[in-house]
Amino acid sequence: MSQSVDYDRFINDLSARRKVSPIRELTKLFTTAPPGTIFLAGGIPNGSTFPFSRMTVELKDGATFKLEGKKIENALQYQPTPGYPPLVEQLQKFQTQVHGLDSTFWQKNSLLVSTGSQDALCKALEMSLSEGDPILVQEPIYPGTSAIIRPLNANMVPIGQDEHGIVPSALRSALSNYGSPEKVSSMKKDVPKLLYLNSTGANPTGATIPAERKKEIYDIACEFNLVILEDDPYYFLHFEEIDPVSFLSMDRDSRVLRFDSFSKILSSGLRVGFVTGPKELVSRIELHTQASTMHTSALSQAIVSSLLDEWGSEKLLQHFKMIQQFYKGKRDCMLASANKHLKGLAEWSVPRAGMFLWIKVPGIADTKKLITEGGIEHGVILVPGKDFLAYDDAQSQYFRASYTVASPEDIDKGFARLANLIKAEIA
Amino acid sequence: MRKFGLLSKALPKLQTKNVPVEHTSFMNELALERKPSILRELMKNHATASKNVVFIGEGLPHPETIPFSEVSFTLKDGTKKVFTGSELVTAINYLPTQGNPKFVQKLRELMDRFHAPLRWEDRDVIATAGSQDGLSKVIEMSLQKGDAIVVADPVYSGLVSNVRPYKAQLISAQYRKNGLDTVEMKDKLTAIWSSRSKDVKIPKILYINPVANNPSGHVISDEQKREIYEIACEFNLLVLEDDPYYFLGFQDELPKSFLSMDTENRVVRFDSFSKIFGGGLRAGWMTGPKEIVRIVEMHMQVSVLHASSLTQAIVLQILEGQGWEGFLDYTKSVKEFYRKRRDQMVALADKYLTGLAEWDVPEGGMFLWVKVKGVSDVLAMVMERGLKKDVMLIPGHAFMSDPTKPCPYIRLSYSLVPMEDVEKAMQRLAELIKEEQAIESQK
Repeated sequence: MSQSVDYDRFINDLSARRKVSPIRELTKLFTTAPPGTIFLAGGIPNGSTFPFSRMTVELKDGATFKLEGKKIENALQYQPTPGYPPLVEQLQKFQTQVHGLDSTFWQKNSLLVSTGSQDALCKALEMSLSEGDPILVQEPIYPGTSAIIRPLNANMVPIGQDEHGIVPSALRSALSNYGSPEKVSSMKKDVPKLLYLNSTGANPTGATIPAERKKEIYDIACEFNLVILEDDPYYFLHFEEIDPVSFLSMDRDSRVLRFDSFSKILSSGLRVGFVTGPKELVSRIELHTQASTMHTSALSQAIVSSLLDEWGSEKLLQHFKMIQQFYKGKRDCMLASANKHLKGLAEWSVPRAGMFLWIKVPGIADTKKLITEGGIEHGVILVPGKDFLAYDDAQSQYFRASYTVASPEDIDKGFARLANLIKAEIA
Repeated sequence: MRKFGLLSKALPKLQTKNVPVEHTSFMNELALERKPSILRELMKNHATASKNVVFIGEGLPHPETIPFSEVSFTLKDGTKKVFTGSELVTAINYLPTQGNPKFVQKLRELMDRFHAPLRWEDRDVIATAGSQDGLSKVIEMSLQKGDAIVVADPVYSGLVSNVRPYKAQLISAQYRKNGLDTVEMKDKLTAIWSSRSKDVKIPKILYINPVANNPSGHVISDEQKREIYEIACEFNLLVLEDDPYYFLGFQDELPKSFLSMDTENRVVRFDSFSKIFGGGLRAGWMTGPKEIVRIVEMHMQVSVLHASSLTQAIVLQILEGQGWEGFLDYTKSVKEFYRKRRDQMVALADKYLTGLAEWDVPEGGMFLWVKVKGVSDVLAMVMERGLKKDVMLIPGHAFMSDPTKPCPYIRLSYSLVPMEDVEKAMQRLAELIKEEQAIESQK
């Protein structure tokens, strides 16, 4: 049932011209060279000149681990671009476990640790898009992604969402505008080739795409020869009994580039994310990374790696459960305030994952105007829905509120003020 | 922007004027169309907003969900720092893209200390995930397919990796015995400006690695820097000063940077802590004209978001602990380490390679750039026969503006390998060269 994908179709001319650094190549060769080989080809500084002797990390559950001796020296030294090798191995095992990957998966696919998942996403879009290319995107869309796409002069083809994410019939219909599946699959220019979406707790709608719908979407992607950019930083931030089923787990064709992040579950500041997908595409991201950041902080990677080692799978899953409980509580707190202050003025669905409440204010045509003119005066700031639209000329009746950080008092105060702001406008 | 008509040899030498450069002229369409990332800008606004305003828009993770309670580091000199509480939150959580504000301020102070006089009205600093990310983003800000860029040959392979996808033409001036051939640079630029041909692209950028040029180890003198800066002014070039070995020049005095003589605000400088605190940290920063820093900031807002918070917190702590005198002493100790190794390397080269090869004594950094005599192209020698002799070197092609041309150079690193092994490698290299010379003379 699986077809083989021609990855050249998804790589633009600039990306295709990236070449491997000869120094990196030699460094790889060195790992398999006979003992006694003397390597004067390296370009790295001498670790004995670095000033650190030890780093210690203490966790809230009482566990501690140290980086010292060779380990700290390593954590301060340049790494292979795909990542700190122990972490790459741990993450491959992690992906295999979480997404039920089969034994042949890693023959066709690879993993790269990135400076946050967004850097990998940015490089994937810069790898693939050319001027004038259409790209299918969920709408509303995370503005960080649209900010990458716009200057590339690619055209966003927005696909609307309901409370379960993008609607397959809308996706099919948008694609059919470009021609039949046979025609679209074979063209390189002027047709959409990429589909960008959040799988879980979408930003800003909070929607999670159920497994059945994902299968429908995946089938459409196969028919029209799309690559799915599965941007999933909230994967573990759900409020269900079991983890969602990902596009990666059903990817028989190897046409999914999946972006994972530790930002919402371990640390945002360490800048550790990872991309999993077809070797031909991940290698292009690798080459771009090689020329820019080189790799993400080795220290950050060593810390994450040591923590994963320290905890093992069981404690890690416990940690995720703790986070889920925590954010569920925060969500419920926000819903209570919303019910108290915004009933009759606004509408919303209960988020089943993620960090956001997506609030519709039927009585207002343009929430951006409302918050820009009245927000400071009334003392409340939320993100207006317009910021999440593909096109500048559209208006939105929505606000995005986040329940993750604000205190219960602030949330309540904020919604009371929002209610006043809305009433003042409608009056 | 300076306008040039027909240039002739009679063109009077231009004085360096204090005319601010129009920076948008160095930006391609992609850069000009970048807009700030709304959510990252919101974070900035939140930091400066009144306490009476409730922000319930931002999607930040809650500190309670972070599993860390304490992160500490100990230095070899015994100093220890523990990050807990709010300091840990700053070290572990999202930051503004420009960087940890205290760290960014420290970097400005560092620049004032080492590169004064600087005018901060039209310049700024941004912390980057390694200095090369800053460099990469400025290249991506400026280049279009087929553009020309001025470099010194041999040139850092990382720069080549960034410009090759744009099919960039590299206009090179050679390093010679007494430094960079600025006459060659000026002649080539004059010829380009005089050319009527559509195929000849006028370069907008000059890339230079002025202290311990990777791979050749040359250090450009302060005087020659002034000459080069004048050329940049005359031909309206943006100067990309890539200076990761700034503290690893073997002279007693620290060099004067291009930035320190930048009266026209046309220098973008890339600094790094990689060679002194550790490349793994990804601790670099960029200093340059505000408009250019802003473009790089906007690109970073949608890619890396910001350099590692922990890295920034750690480096800030070290700099605060050492003070500038302490920092300078520390960098001197690192410099001494590499200078000693340079001496040992050069002695071994003298012993084994005299008559077989030529080299200039490296004036800084960690590399010896060797020209093999009697061999026109070392590629096969290094990549096939060298491997068979159990010695791995880098063929110079990686550092030439035209890597397809035959190249007789090799780069040897003296940073890591124990000197007994370096001696063995030199012996093998000497044999390798003799064998290669024999092969070549039979052709």
